[in-house]
Amino acid sequence: MENDIKISIKNLYKIFGPTPDVALEYVKRGMNKADLLDQQNHVLGLRDINVDIYDGKITVIMGLSGSGKSTLIRHLNRLIEPTAGEIRLDGKNVLELNEEELRQLRREQMSMVFQKFALLPHKTVLENAGMALNIRGSKVADFESEAVKWLARVGLEGNENQFPHQLSGGMQQRVGIARALVSNSPVMLMDEAFSALDPLIRSDMQDLLLELQSELQKTIIFITHDLDEALKLSDHLVILKDGEVVQQGDPQDILLNPTDPYIVAFINDINRARVLRVRSIMSRDVDKDIDYAGDLSEKDNLETVLSLSGGDTDKVFRVVRNGEAVGSLCMKALTRALVPSNG
Amino acid sequence: MATYDSLFSALGLKDWCAKGKEDGPMSMADLLAKAKGKDAEPESLWDVPFPSLDTLNDSCAAFPQSRELTKGLEEGFLAVKDNLSLVLDPLTQPLSWALDGALYGMLNTPWWIVIPIMLAVVFLVTKSWKLVLFVGVSICLLAFIDYYEYAMQTLAIIFVCAFLCVLFGVPIGIAMSRSNTMERLTIPVLDMLQTLPPFVYLIPLTFLFSVTESKLYGIAIILYAIVPVVRLTNLGIRLVDKDVIEAADAFGMTPRQKLYKVQIPLALPNIMAGVNQTIMMSLAMVVIASLVSAPGLGVLVLRGIRNLELGVGLVAGLGIVILAVVLDRVTKASLARINATQKQ
Repeated sequence: MENDIKISIKNLYKIFGPTPDVALEYVKRGMNKADLLDQQNHVLGLRDINVDIYDGKITVIMGLSGSGKSTLIRHLNRLIEPTAGEIRLDGKNVLELNEEELRQLRREQMSMVFQKFALLPHKTVLENAGMALNIRGSKVADFESEAVKWLARVGLEGNENQFPHQLSGGMQQRVGIARALVSNSPVMLMDEAFSALDPLIRSDMQDLLLELQSELQKTIIFITHDLDEALKLSDHLVILKDGEVVQQGDPQDILLNPTDPYIVAFINDINRARVLRVRSIMSRDVDKDIDYAGDLSEKDNLETVLSLSGGDTDKVFRVVRNGEAVGSLCMKALTRALVPSNG
Repeated sequence: MATYDSLFSALGLKDWCAKGKEDGPMSMADLLAKAKGKDAEPESLWDVPFPSLDTLNDSCAAFPQSRELTKGLEEGFLAVKDNLSLVLDPLTQPLSWALDGALYGMLNTPWWIVIPIMLAVVFLVTKSWKLVLFVGVSICLLAFIDYYEYAMQTLAIIFVCAFLCVLFGVPIGIAMSRSNTMERLTIPVLDMLQTLPPFVYLIPLTFLFSVTESKLYGIAIILYAIVPVVRLTNLGIRLVDKDVIEAADAFGMTPRQKLYKVQIPLALPNIMAGVNQTIMMSLAMVVIASLVSAPGLGVLVLRGIRNLELGVGLVAGLGIVILAVVLDRVTKASLARINATQKQ
């Protein structure tokens, strides 16, 4: 997969209040969020956001509530207008589009999945799934085959003629995902798409998303407040705090080298063995003389390795990719990686 | 000597007051006072009258009497009346035609066509045989006691007026929901229309239009009954789930698509509740409008009061109750059907 930049966000600021331009000057001079609210009565939404979103990858934006993550995702299709900065989609500045071009972008380039599903309650599942095509002027007969195909793909075969209120939350969100897929847009924005679902269904939906992604390779921007979810889904992780990016990069990397106490506090409670993968901690040299205890895939997580080793810390495993040895992993290194680096 | 004489002399306004002296007609109160032959001078502080226009006029003729206020209003109204009706007459003429046409159509179509059509409509909007049966029995009961014609007149007027209320009320409500300024401007008008006693509508209208024209009561009914459908359309659209609106935006709906595909369908339960209220208020007003020649059951109620025909008045009243229940049940049932498809 190539690492082309699909969307590039540069120096993005958002300030809520009556005169954001004035407040922007203060923010650029370094006023912090609390002072801005106290002295200027403006709310700092986003400060100097620079994020590159890669084509065909899942970029997860994570932060607690109030960190500006939902505000950020709404800037991408301009449901919220920024105060300053630029957003480029395929090199074209989204902020310069006029109303008609923006509508075209929303119809064809970006689809969105919402936390509260936001389905049309008076339309059937089929009509909801085909909403994007219906907006572009297709009749039910035109989009039916497409909608039925994607509904079946997300596991809703036979529910086409039901109404949203007849479905459970998880099924409603499947309709939401099908709706985004039917629009056939290269970019999918997912705003806390699974946060309203209970944990078991959430896990199912995450698996469904990963499965779809391996098949479709869309550019997905996923918002969440759940670190486990973020680590499970993300190719690129952006952590937001109070409207600023604290750290971004490969999630494994962030986990092993957190640069901010905020992130350290965050990652302390997670199960590192489940999240860390062999490729992040293996050594690159393969020694032919050593007697390897077994072969691992570089995508395996450490939990799998632990159960494979049976708790024996003397073992050394060989890491293979497509049948070719690419590195080795000794259990001592694994144990070290499991200890969080507490500054 | 009147009460406030001393006040005007103290202020040195005696001359100004004297100038205003002229021989106007005497008011009834003056005549009575004169007949009693005693002056209005109060004996103690306890009896001091409020310094109203009439009391001040006693002391100082330069003050107008209160009857001049009502007279001025009347004259002002009469002065603009001709020009106003020049504009309003042609504008409202279609209302007369619609009402006359509906009355003519309802009364000149034989009962064995009108009743089945009505029952079919009831079934169409409610999909309930029970209600069809109830409506059928009610209408047949009214027809059996020879009130069919009156009931049909009342219904015809209600249908025309309620239809026009919806025709104008829903767009006004939509405009209100889209602009806060529009809402701020419209709400006082709606408040006034709603609090004005129904009889008061009739006063200026009787001056503007001829009592022989049906648009006179048509306008009174529409003004009175349009309020709920406007209010509830506005409210309904404003209450549409923000998340769904956001989804509509995110998928690139035009404002028009948003209105027809999202806002109106989702506001429909509220709009229908407004239509129900509008129909009920039309019914209330059509009875009162019989004072200005609206035909129907109201005329019989009026006859009952005027001629002390107790039986006629009571039966006509009962007929109105039956119509009210029928209209209410039918609109509520169709509202429930809409609600059922919209549960979230």
